[in-house]
Amino acid sequence: MALRVIRAAVIVALGGCLGLAWNSLSGLGFALTRNVLVQEEDQVVDVAEAKTRLGQGALFLDARPEAFYNMAHIPGSLPLPEEDFDRAFARLEPRLRGSLDVVVYCAGFGCEASHIVARKLKERGIPAAILHDGWPAWQDAHYAERTGAQP
Amino acid sequence: MRLRDLLTAVLAIALGVIFIYASLDKIEHPDAFARIVYHYRLIGPSASVGPLPANLAAVTLPWVEILAGIALISGVWRREAAGLVALLLVIFLGAVSWALLHGIDIENCGCFTVTGAGRGAGIKLLAEDLALLVVALFIAASPVPSTLTTPAADA
Repeated sequence: MALRVIRAAVIVALGGCLGLAWNSLSGLGFALTRNVLVQEEDQVVDVAEAKTRLGQGALFLDARPEAFYNMAHIPGSLPLPEEDFDRAFARLEPRLRGSLDVVVYCAGFGCEASHIVARKLKERGIPAAILHDGWPAWQDAHYAERTGAQP
Repeated sequence: MRLRDLLTAVLAIALGVIFIYASLDKIEHPDAFARIVYHYRLIGPSASVGPLPANLAAVTLPWVEILAGIALISGVWRREAAGLVALLLVIFLGAVSWALLHGIDIENCGCFTVTGAGRGAGIKLLAEDLALLVVALFIAASPVPSTLTTPAADA
């Protein structure tokens, strides 16, 4: 039995070494300390910076599904769910075109919606920053929240 | 060759092919697979651990899959590889269950393809992983017939 566990561990260790070697040597790999959701052109701001911008009148967009927005959101933010981008964008476009500073957030960490929304906005000529670690970071900072459908 | 030996060999080759196939797109696109690992929100990136654990998993997991697949097909260390595949499947089952329980919508489970549209992570995927788990455990529990020790068994 011990031999079998050792053999299985050898497969894991060998796979791990091959994976690390492939990642660094094949040209297909990436820096292991990098968050792959963040692309070079993305403008990411931390939660303190985001709060300052909110105070200065930045327009905040919530990229999560609208049900989550209704549960709780950053006060003043508007829902622009990634899953329903085109419809929501059409509704908000005049507002967005008039905003000098736009910040997008979503559910943080593994959530990619804010990155996708920010890129789509950029394609449409509206530069937007992304709140690093999103809604959980805002909650952890104990900043104000608002519930319901009202911004 | 006894029927069980034959069945085990066929199942081992099939499981090996599935795992090798599953590894290829991930090996070709490590960063795309890392994105999918993030989507599960199980091992980060988070405020406490950052992206490193998820990135390490994304970079190494497909190579463990392909090695286990090669072992299953070749028959070398077959029972050990089957046991390892069973362990991987338990991890996959755990990850998909976690996502389902937390209402995390995984559009692409990262099972076979990591670029473009893949299969969603739902109940059907759990059932398939469970079926593969049964197969893997069966292979792991089946002794490998030794033609060296019983050279005249089929004669």
